[in-house]
Amino acid sequence: MSDLAIDIQHVVKRFEEHVAVRDLSLEVPRGSVYGLLGPNGAGKTTTIRMILDVIAPDAGTINIFGIPHDSAGVLDKVGYLPEERGLYKKMQVRRVLLFLAELKGIGMREASKRIDEWLERFSLNTAEKNWGDAKVDELSRGMQQKVQFIATLLHDPDLVILDEPFSGLDPINAQALKDAVVELKRRGKTVIFSTHVMDNAEKMCDSVCIIARGEKVLDGTVASVRQQHGAQNVAVSLADGAQNGVAAILRDGALVRQFDENNRFFEIEMTKGADPQMLLRRLIDAGASIERFELVQPSLHQVFIQRVGASGVETGMSGHG
Amino acid sequence: MDKKIFVVAKREYLERVRSRWFIAMTLLVPILMAGAFLFPIWMAARGSVSNQLGHIRILDATGAGLGERIAKAMYADSTLGIVAGDTVAPRVEVVSPAELSAKEQAAISEIQLRDHIAGVLSLTDSSIAGQSARYAGRNASNISDMDKLRTIVRQSAMMVRLEHEGVRPAIVDDLARSNMRLNAERVTEKGKSGSGTAGLFVGIIVGVLLFMSIIFHGQNILRGVLEEKATRVAEVVLSSVKPESLLAGKVLGVGAVGLTQQAAWLGIATYLTNFMAPIVMKAITAKGGAAAAANAAAASPIAGALGGISLGIIGIALAYFLVGFVFYACLYAAAGSMVNSEQEAQQAATPVMFLLISTWLMVNPVLVNPTSRLAVVLSWLPWSSPIIMPMRIGLTSVSPIEVIGSLIVAFLGCIGAVWLSARIYRVGMLMYGKKPSFGEVAKWIRYA
Repeated sequence: MSDLAIDIQHVVKRFEEHVAVRDLSLEVPRGSVYGLLGPNGAGKTTTIRMILDVIAPDAGTINIFGIPHDSAGVLDKVGYLPEERGLYKKMQVRRVLLFLAELKGIGMREASKRIDEWLERFSLNTAEKNWGDAKVDELSRGMQQKVQFIATLLHDPDLVILDEPFSGLDPINAQALKDAVVELKRRGKTVIFSTHVMDNAEKMCDSVCIIARGEKVLDGTVASVRQQHGAQNVAVSLADGAQNGVAAILRDGALVRQFDENNRFFEIEMTKGADPQMLLRRLIDAGASIERFELVQPSLHQVFIQRVGASGVETGMSGHG
Repeated sequence: MDKKIFVVAKREYLERVRSRWFIAMTLLVPILMAGAFLFPIWMAARGSVSNQLGHIRILDATGAGLGERIAKAMYADSTLGIVAGDTVAPRVEVVSPAELSAKEQAAISEIQLRDHIAGVLSLTDSSIAGQSARYAGRNASNISDMDKLRTIVRQSAMMVRLEHEGVRPAIVDDLARSNMRLNAERVTEKGKSGSGTAGLFVGIIVGVLLFMSIIFHGQNILRGVLEEKATRVAEVVLSSVKPESLLAGKVLGVGAVGLTQQAAWLGIATYLTNFMAPIVMKAITAKGGAAAAANAAAASPIAGALGGISLGIIGIALAYFLVGFVFYACLYAAAGSMVNSEQEAQQAATPVMFLLISTWLMVNPVLVNPTSRLAVVLSWLPWSSPIIMPMRIGLTSVSPIEVIGSLIVAFLGCIGAVWLSARIYRVGMLMYGKKPSFGEVAKWIRYA
């Protein structure tokens, strides 16, 4: 058996007007949590759909657990949560789940038992009401998300693919999802998720791959990716924000190469050869009230901005991250 | 074969069969059908038994006893239900030609005042000559009453003249009782086979059922595909099952729904007809006697047609239903996968509807002349043969070679439709945004 949950080699997908994925190769180790990162339109969903044999690549090979992904039964080991959620609206929740489980080759009796467990676990079967017997469109959005998530995991897949799983989740459900991912990893499952929210990826992933415009920008373990991108970063928190000439200091090219401002928190990439201590002194001289000043490794977000840069980000990423 | 086809088919079947719409349609249609079978029987029975026609006054100014003759004929006619000694039985009054008009006025005033007299029949010399008689009454607009009355008057006038010409009274009475009924039988190369009207109705029933279920369930498939696409559930499903299998399961499941519904329709309608018919018949017999019942039975060829459906015809109709259904269902599914909204779907389905409607427009010419060249050509084309051929078989004799050949062509057409639709479906299901042009769809077909 292969050590790789997914092995993609030189995959190409062209659509009429553009190339969605060009010569993409990536390897996802078995048992890891893997982040597929990139701005909107980078080719994440196209890549995922090709893995799932929903669309066919124009060139290249895709293996799942060492077996070509279009072999019979391979996809029964994969659970998929698409970015665009959707269930049969007029169908009973229990019947939708049963149908999707049967499509993955689970027998009716076994599926039925598991559905009961999952409904219980996601508190969809309470003393007041068993939502399993309700129609899908009677459920709130949050409940529908839970049902969709149950559908993803009902057949106990070895590989779970989540496309933008955090989009539209409230903090409580987002936390539940994170817990679920951790549990899947503990049980030896492989989890791939795509996101453009770097913060989530940084906290959850063992390895990541950043793609932009259909091409791989970089990949590797989160630690190595951050290491490769230098230690010359400084995290600064200011009580008053960028007042009293702080802004001018940050724009001094001799000191700061670029910075990411979040009102009171700044992640600053130093110019090569510049001394962070100099930065600290100048900030104090300028009268800034410093709450935090720390030498850090760049965050994934910083790496992302640095590598994907102005090219892919402005159009694709506005408002995120 | 992919086992998942049956998982998909099972869902399609169960979800549809469980829906309120299906249950309502399945129960209501046969009740309407049974109603359509029994209503003519009931009408026929009602039409001939008028409780008014027997209650008339006859003013006889002929001096030749025509009035008596008519009254006698009315007593003899069981459909009028006149019992001897009835106070409201036809009453004959012999009058002179001079006083006829005054008596007539008096009778009309009486009709206006009293319920038990329906009308007044005035007979003159011209009635004997077979030219005219006058009737005034409440039921003058009842077509079957007037038909009956006209027949009785004409026959009676004829009898009076025959007697007058010296024909023996016994022979005249015998002639008066004669009741001619025409039984039509269809002749084919295989010899006589059932009644002509039965064949016609079998053909129409089979054709209409096929047409209706193709339209109804085809639209259902269209909507189902559209729903899967619009709710984005398609993506989850397609990550578990190949699009070809999804399409096949869908067509299989909905086709099974169609067959279930038709079996239920035929079953319930047959049961209702067989169960209700004796009750209706009994009611008629009780009221109008056996002759009325016989009349009624003759008026309803559809009831006879049900008995005229043989197993062979059912088998052939079933085969055509299957190929026709798969053909159109696939095309509908492809149309549904191309678009994103109900309005667009109707547009996309227009070419499919065109094939169906153009076939339907040809039904009448085929019914009129099932052996014409048009009918033969239509029973070979794969999109029209499933509707036209079972009809032709019901109407005339079609050689087995022609039936098998046309079935093979239809089957090949079916395979073509499956192939084409699977390709459009595969690409279309994940295409969102604007409606594709024909050029784009052609590209999908080539590159899928």
